Amino acid sequence: MVAGSTLRIAWRNLWRNRRRTSLAVAAIGLSVALVLAYYALLRAYADWILETLTGPMLGHVQVHAPEWRKDRAMDRTIRDVSSLLDGLRRDPDVASASPRIYAPALAALAEEGFAVVIMGVDWEAESHPIRLLSGVDVPRSPGRVLMGRALAEMMGVREGDEIALVGQGADGSLANDLVQVQGLIQTPVDFVNRQGILLEIGEAQTLFAMPDEAHEVVVHARDPEGVKLLASRLAALPNLAGTEVLDWQALAPEMVSLIEIIEVAGVFALVLIFIAASAGVANTMLMATFERTHELGMLLALGAAPSRIVRMILAESIALGFTGAALGGTLGILFVAVTHETGLDFAALTGGGPTQLSFAGLSWSMRFYPSLAPSDVGRTILAVLLTSLIASIWPALRAARLEPARALRE
Amino acid sequence: MAWVSSKYAFRSVGRNLRRTALSVLGIGIGCTLALVTESINRGRDELFARMGAYSGAGHLRVVPAGWRLRRDPRLRLAEGKRDLEAARSLPGVAAVTVRARAQVLLAMGTHVVPLEMVGVDPENEPRTYRFVQNLERGRYLAPGERGAAVVGRAVAERLRADLDDDILATAVGKDGDIEAALFRIVGIVATGSEDLDASICQVTLDDMEALTGLPSVAEVAVILEDWRETESTRALLAPRVARGDEVLTWGEIAPEFQGHMEQDKAASRFIGFLIIVIVLLGVASAQLAAVLERRREFAVLSALGMQAGHMVRLVLQEGLTLGFFGGALGFALGAPLVWHLASAGLDFREYMGSSYSFQGVVLEPILYGDFGVWMIPYVLLIAVGATLAASLYPAWFAARTDPAVALRVAQ
Amino acid sequence: MSGSRLFRAFALGASMAAFSPTAESVQKPPDVESILAHLDDLYRSKSSTSRMEIQVVGRRTTRTLRLKAWSRGEEEVLVVIEEPAREAGTATLRVGDNLWNYLPRIARTIRVPPAMMLGSWMGTDFTNDDLVKESSLHKDFVSRVERRSEDPKGWWLTLDVKPDVVGRWAKIEFLVSDDWLPIEERHFDRKGRLARTMRFDEVKTLGGRRLPARLVLTPTDAEGQSTELRYLEIAFDVPIADDTFSLSRLEQTR
Repeated sequence: MVAGSTLRIAWRNLWRNRRRTSLAVAAIGLSVALVLAYYALLRAYADWILETLTGPMLGHVQVHAPEWRKDRAMDRTIRDVSSLLDGLRRDPDVASASPRIYAPALAALAEEGFAVVIMGVDWEAESHPIRLLSGVDVPRSPGRVLMGRALAEMMGVREGDEIALVGQGADGSLANDLVQVQGLIQTPVDFVNRQGILLEIGEAQTLFAMPDEAHEVVVHARDPEGVKLLASRLAALPNLAGTEVLDWQALAPEMVSLIEIIEVAGVFALVLIFIAASAGVANTMLMATFERTHELGMLLALGAAPSRIVRMILAESIALGFTGAALGGTLGILFVAVTHETGLDFAALTGGGPTQLSFAGLSWSMRFYPSLAPSDVGRTILAVLLTSLIASIWPALRAARLEPARALRE
Repeated sequence: MAWVSSKYAFRSVGRNLRRTALSVLGIGIGCTLALVTESINRGRDELFARMGAYSGAGHLRVVPAGWRLRRDPRLRLAEGKRDLEAARSLPGVAAVTVRARAQVLLAMGTHVVPLEMVGVDPENEPRTYRFVQNLERGRYLAPGERGAAVVGRAVAERLRADLDDDILATAVGKDGDIEAALFRIVGIVATGSEDLDASICQVTLDDMEALTGLPSVAEVAVILEDWRETESTRALLAPRVARGDEVLTWGEIAPEFQGHMEQDKAASRFIGFLIIVIVLLGVASAQLAAVLERRREFAVLSALGMQAGHMVRLVLQEGLTLGFFGGALGFALGAPLVWHLASAGLDFREYMGSSYSFQGVVLEPILYGDFGVWMIPYVLLIAVGATLAASLYPAWFAARTDPAVALRVAQ
Repeated sequence: MSGSRLFRAFALGASMAAFSPTAESVQKPPDVESILAHLDDLYRSKSSTSRMEIQVVGRRTTRTLRLKAWSRGEEEVLVVIEEPAREAGTATLRVGDNLWNYLPRIARTIRVPPAMMLGSWMGTDFTNDDLVKESSLHKDFVSRVERRSEDPKGWWLTLDVKPDVVGRWAKIEFLVSDDWLPIEERHFDRKGRLARTMRFDEVKTLGGRRLPARLVLTPTDAEGQSTELRYLEIAFDVPIADDTFSLSRLEQTR
């Protein structure tokens, strides 16, 4: 329909009227860029929510002995946990796997005993970014513990104090020891702050008569999207026979709903932004083309066929649209490329607002890592292109059908 | 020549109706979108405040001294009655209720479940704690009922108990001795979250007092009609409660919800900003397109002696007029939309995945947009502000038109 | 542990022993009411010292403890672990509503918060209710003879809890031998389900009384778990030094 020569003429036409063209290209380009920027931030937000909700405590997949979650009995342990961890770490989709022990116990500074939960953890693994102890100075020598800050306040414990711990081993024996409080911590998890005393997992295994055992193994996946598949794949591993393997959605269904609400709200906003952008582009193209009625009338008067006019406008619009889309797409992708690795400080972006927040018992730091999927880019460009095309065709059709004299008069 | 330019502005607006209509429509749609977005953004704040308040925190809560730090369930208010009266007498209160708590061990045979049992006022509790509205089986407590309990489903399961079964509750009494009481399960609650279910056990206040021997109540929870009045109402209530008792806001009791609300506020501020930028862009480019195409017209005006300053004023006045009408249109289109949003709300349930369990979840995912007086200045600001800002470059451009060049160049 | 619950079990046996059966009374159903009434009077011993062995069969491991215990009235109890060597010297002192643990390894005395006293005692299947609450068979239950048992020889008694009584058990079925010693006790929860079974055997003379020295408690739902308590020595109503039930004494029990 639109022959090569028509396109060439169209292209020349466009650049003859540099200002109008630049304006249209800018309008389309910026709209595309802004929508893409929002898309990228929306994805960043969704990823961030997921990571901060699951990172510290939940992880992506958890392994337990069957029934442990019901009564948290000390003796419902995962056996041979080191070979289980080996098996897990061999899976290419597993970013990390670490064990935990949970032991309800008594802690006392002087004579008064307080109900606490002693958590045996892998210091190194829990110190990764967005994990329980990220940014915390973990103990390097044995016999030292970290204590939740609220718990310490309640007990009157300060850093350096020695406290007694009394609990029950997995074999029912009395587990007791004296430890030194190396540090008071404020973690992203409320329960840890209020009741938690953290001990190195090997020491906990010894204290609670749990050689090579643990209550929980936390797995982080490389790709948070593929968690369900990962969980079912891990459940089939021979090392994990007889254990309960659950993805985070099964463990915390209320989180799922929460995240979905946030995502849906985000998509709503996206739709609105899309409409706004399209409206802007349409308005521009309509305005520009209507204003050309005089010029088109001139062409008609000179003997150009109406269909020829429409074809020309169409070609121009296509050329415009592609150029604008290319510009906008490039800007958008550039934005993502630049910020993807280093991330954006949300506070700076929105002009104030907290940099650390507490939510659902967690504290979040607000750095976003924008990302774009090819489909996002494709969808945006397509939508904007179509909008600009339609918005320019209509006035052109109208002009083409006018009597030249009338058109000239406008 | 000032009045000439404004007369001209008006007339030119009237002359090219299509162009005007297009501009006004463009601005109008942009304003509508901005209005709807802002309404939704404010609605999100309300959503999270609701989340926090209705999951038991209340918008305000009167608590005993020392509770903020220790959260010891055995703490009791200095003067519960007085605090309750003070709360009831506050303006803008939607619901008030009282509670008392204790650490208990529930038992059926050899099966046990430790949890924090709550003594409630059955008449007012469901209005302030939405989980007990999700009764899966049985019924809720009746006012003044004795010996009855409502438990979460996981509690019943772990106890191997069912409706109409008697379970034993053991607690530490007033003087440190062990007290026990039997309760019949009259209702079972399912929230969708096993952890939550395993923590729910409610009895009447009288039963709680009988069991623990601790008199009075531990907290007065207040739900306000307008969550935004939380701070101001707190200021009203604090001096009226008994000495030693403290008034906390939901943000202090459930900082997680407040945190999310603040973070979301930041996010929505950004979205609002983005929408405005896009609207601005759209309006600007349309205006610019119009101005570009009218170069001959401006050239003629310039040739006729209109000065640059007047030309700028002309474009700006045109812009203002357009902006005003565009804003009016935007408001006319947007107000009914926002009204619908505010009354019926956006029901997210349809858009959420199949994994969503209707019963459970922390809140009902219905977002109620905000409808209020703020809408008028907001639309005005965007319409006029955006159009003016958008007309600046075109105005400058129009003023710079060299008549000779413009008239020479074929359109 | 106050041991009153356990002592009551043994006292039941003791009271049975007090009613030496004659040839004729063996075949006639016993007068349950008077037995229970007698029991309730007898289950209190003013003071006692004892040594016992407790074996806890858990899901995975079996743990055996040897303990020495002193008790006075219902309010004062001192329990010291003798074996295993690893835990020897660990002591628990209860005075009224206060409970302390002494841990020799770390040389510390810690007071147990009351809320933590609600659960099971020392990891056994005994709960605090068992050891602390003063439920009375006579006052809290309506009893009757159910039927005769031939193997082993004895009588099955059924005890139904009275309507206003607060407790875990709606019904207790009791098998007593012809020489008035308890053989088996079955506890039924409030839904009428068998929740746990206690078996008595190894009848001996201890502290001047003839009673079953061994008691095995088996919860029904519990994957092979059980707790076994065996008395090695008991002395009833002996004088006990006043300072026995004190924290300072607690720390000297090595």
